[in-house]
Order: sequence, then C-alpha cells, then structure tokens
Amino acid sequence: MHRGLVVTAMLALAAGAAWGQSPPPSDQAEQVKALLERVEQLEKRVAELEARGAGPSVTTAAASAPSAAAKPEVQEEAAKPEPSHQMEGHMDRTAIGQLETHYPSLQIRGFGDVDFSATDQKGSTSGFNLGQLDLHLASALSSKISYFGEMTFNAHPTNYTVEVERSIIRYDYNDYFKISFGRYHTPVGYWNTAFHHGAWLETTIDRPEIVRVGGTFIPLHFVGFLVEGNIPSGGAGLGYSVGVGNGRGDTISRPGDAGDNNNNRAWVANVYSRPVKLYGLQFGASVYRDKITLANGTNFREWISSAHVAWTRGAPEFLAEFANVNHHQLFTNVSTNNPGFYVQAAYRLPWLEKSLKPYYRFEYLHTPQNETVFTNLDLVESIFGLRYDISSYAAFKSEYRHASRLPGTPTINGLFLQTSFTF
Amino acid sequence: MTTTYKWLAAMLWTACLMCTLLSCPAEGQTTRGTDIAVVVNPDTPISDLSLAEVRKVLLGERQYWNSKLPVVLLIRAPVARERDVVLRVIYQMSESEFKQFWVAKIFRAEAATPPKIVYSNDMQYELVSAIPGAIAFVDARNVRPGLKVLRVDGHLPGEANYPLR
Repeated sequence: MHRGLVVTAMLALAAGAAWGQSPPPSDQAEQVKALLERVEQLEKRVAELEARGAGPSVTTAAASAPSAAAKPEVQEEAAKPEPSHQMEGHMDRTAIGQLETHYPSLQIRGFGDVDFSATDQKGSTSGFNLGQLDLHLASALSSKISYFGEMTFNAHPTNYTVEVERSIIRYDYNDYFKISFGRYHTPVGYWNTAFHHGAWLETTIDRPEIVRVGGTFIPLHFVGFLVEGNIPSGGAGLGYSVGVGNGRGDTISRPGDAGDNNNNRAWVANVYSRPVKLYGLQFGASVYRDKITLANGTNFREWISSAHVAWTRGAPEFLAEFANVNHHQLFTNVSTNNPGFYVQAAYRLPWLEKSLKPYYRFEYLHTPQNETVFTNLDLVESIFGLRYDISSYAAFKSEYRHASRLPGTPTINGLFLQTSFTF
Repeated sequence: MTTTYKWLAAMLWTACLMCTLLSCPAEGQTTRGTDIAVVVNPDTPISDLSLAEVRKVLLGERQYWNSKLPVVLLIRAPVARERDVVLRVIYQMSESEFKQFWVAKIFRAEAATPPKIVYSNDMQYELVSAIPGAIAFVDARNVRPGLKVLRVDGHLPGEANYPLR
C-alpha cells in the first residue's frame, strides 16, 4: 500500500513538473503577443524621441575619442546604438537619478545575536540569553564629511540599558589625513577596532578576554579626537592613527564620557602595515599612555604596548594579538606588568559553499599579585568551535571552552551556542 | 513495512543529494573571455595603475584621486561578467565574502558608502561620464568614446599580459 502511495506521489510530482514546462494556453499566448507588439511600438516611439532630442549618450560619445587601444570595430558598434540599448538607456536615466549622492545619506545596519551557555562551574545555570542588539549608523554629510554612530541595547536581569558605543564625526582631507572627533573604540591592537560589537563579524562567539565587553584590561573606549590615514610607503601599505582623549574614568572600564577625572589627557598611537604583495595580511603595533586617578584618589601612570598580526583571507584565518599593561603608582613608585595575548586560527572548509569554518583560540592573561589597579584577571583558556554561515548575513556558532582562572581553582568546561546576524 | 520505509528514505536521500549537487555551482564556473577595461571619468588625473593600486581603490583603502576628487566606485550587479572578473581577480572573494567585506568596511567607519551598483553598460557609461572621480569596469568590447581607459600594470585591454580577463 505504501509503495502504491509513493508511486502516486511521484507521478503527481512529475505531472506538476511537466505542467510547468508545457506551453501556455492560447489566451495567454495572445496576451504575450499583444504585449510584445506594445513593447515594439514603445521602442519605436523612444527611438523617435531620442533622434529628435539628440540624447546625451550620443553627444558625449562624440565629444572625445577613446584613449584606449580599442579595436576599430568596437567604435563602430558604439556609434550605432541598438534598439535595446535605447530602451535600456531610457530606463537607466531614471536609475541614474536614484544613484546620485544625496546628503545626508543615512544608512542603518543592525547586528544581533542569541546565545546559549552551559558550564560545569559551581553555582552557574545553563540557559539562553539575548546578546547585544547593535545599531550602526553611517551617513555622508558631504563628499568629505561623514558621521558614524553605534548604539547597543544590552539585556540585564531587570531591564535593558542603551549604550552609545561610538559617535564620530570625521573630516577627510585626503587619504593621508582624516581628522575626527567623538567617542571611539580605542585603536589599541586589532580586535577592538576590527569587529566592534558586531558578533556576526567575529569568527568566534565572544571577544577575547583582553578586549572583553565590560572588561578592564584595555580601555575599550576613548573620547577625544583622532587623526588617521595612509602613510605614503609604496608596497608596505602603511597606515596610522594618533589620538588624544580623556582616557579612563573613575570606573576604569569606562572612558570619561562627560569629562576627564584629571587634567592629564590620554594619547594613543597605532601604526599598521597591509603589504601589497601579501593581500590579506595586516600587522601593527600600538601604544597608549594615560594617567589614571582611581576613586580613592590614588594616581597611576598607565602605559599599554600592543602588537598584532592578522591574516583574514578565511582559508586559513589567523589572528594573534599581544598587549602589556604597565601601571606605575606615582606615590610608591611600584610598577606592575600585566601581559595578555590570544592566538586564533580558523580554516574555511572548501565544501558546502565554504560555509563551515572550524576554529581554535588560545588565550592567556596574567596579573601579578602586587597589581592594584586591576582585580585578578588571570586566565588560561582554550576554545574549539565551528562556525556555519547559514546565509551571507547570518551564522550559527558552537564552542567548547576549557578555562582555568586562579591557580588551585577547578577548571571550567562549557558549551556555548550562538546565532548571530546582521540586518 | 520496514522495507518500504527504507526504500522511501533512500528515495528522499537521493532526491536531497541531487538537489544539493545541482544547486552547488562548480568551482571556476566563470568562463574566461574578453578583457575587462578599467574606465574612469575623463577628468580623473590618472592614466596608469598597477593591479595592486586598483585593488587598493576597490578595497576602499584609496578613497581620493587627489584632495579635491573623491573616488566613486561603480560595480556591476551580480551575474554580470565584469563583476565576476572584478571579484575573482581583484577582490579574490566570493559574492558572499564581497557583501560581508563591505558590511564590515562601513561598520569599521573606514568608508561611508558602499560601491554604487549599476545594472547595465549604458547606465555605467552615463555615470562614469557624469560623475567626476568615477571608476568602473567595462567589457573591453563595450568601451565607448568619451571615457578614459586606464593602463593596468602598464597594459591596455587587448594587449598580452593584461591582468583583467
């Protein structure tokens, strides 16, 4: 009986497919014929009108000869526009009008993610959580002035908070000098300015610990001004950014959004290279200098030095970043060094339209016992994961993490899942 | 009954496999054909670029021809051969990677607008003629008078060793 049902179903499918390929009924054929005649009439009419008005394409074409070594027959073809070109040209002029740049030209893009986590850490509970909902605004205000903004909506146990992550107005003089003012992601290292808060852009589920959202290791945000651009360097492909701003606030994870808490400005300098002959490679170094005044009035000099290398062509993908945060207490002259780094490797597999990317990341972070600005941040972690790009704009990621924090404390194993997307 | 279900499962499996195989485009499906010319507005103060420089322009790393003239990128819509060549030779990206690249580029505040998408040669021709600083990629057979064709790595379309084909 089942076999009979299957055969019937297949016959029905085959009949459906055949129906889709059969010629249209006679009334539809007449309609198609009438439409074709109508199109021909319209084409003739457009040709007449263009001949009367001497269309712009003909005028421009006659204005100057090509500088290319175009073959003679190419130019002959160009001189005799076909009827289809005339129709196309008519429609194009409407589209061209739409493509003209209008100012301001606001574009909005969003990023979002939904996560699941389960770990064997004592006291933790497994479950879903809504990641950050991130809105990005980009608007050209003129050919040389642009505005960029980024806002996140963050889920908390009792409410949502809104955070202005970036708000930047930038004037481009040329490729070598662009000056901007506002709130930035501090250009120290690679990750903080490469992925911002777009989880979908990151291969992994989360940022590395040294640039964790809400973390203290590197000052993620910076309020002030920034000068950036290319450095004329031929094949070395050098670029730079230099900035001055408020630096860390009373709460060291936050910048002084509403004003600095001391009279010393922080400054940052970042140089990178994208060599022409190694398309996809970037490496660079950054330094950051600030005076920190804690809420209890203690003052420190902070000196962050960082280096990174990134190969982002997908097969393979490689990211590595190192940073050392030095704190020097001004009263006691005690200095501490806090090193941290991560190494991440991924490989986009050639199958399934290159939608699968397995990855591994190793992270290390150490704070010495006499460190007084940071609470203990020690971490040694390995992450194994797989990213599956469901479409061009959405991905599913799964991770296993194995982490240990302080010596003597149990290691933590966890399973993490995420779907992230842009819209 | 078990045999029937096995048979049904085998049929479904085969159908799924066939669908997957048919929907996957073969690697290197793009056929090699005529050269793709790099054309710019006649007022653009440039006539020769290396392939690496063309790549810098297309990656948005070079956004100005000079301090008064911004680059305006024009790229054909998907399926056009010009676009296939640009993605394969210059960007070295798939369609999906190209889209993701520009989403990231604007998100990083490295560019304010993505390339303008053009749907026909006529449209491309009129835009390059009308917009100072515009650069586009045209099948060399369709190059019309009034546009400036750039040398790439010292070669014009049609010459040996021209890289965009």
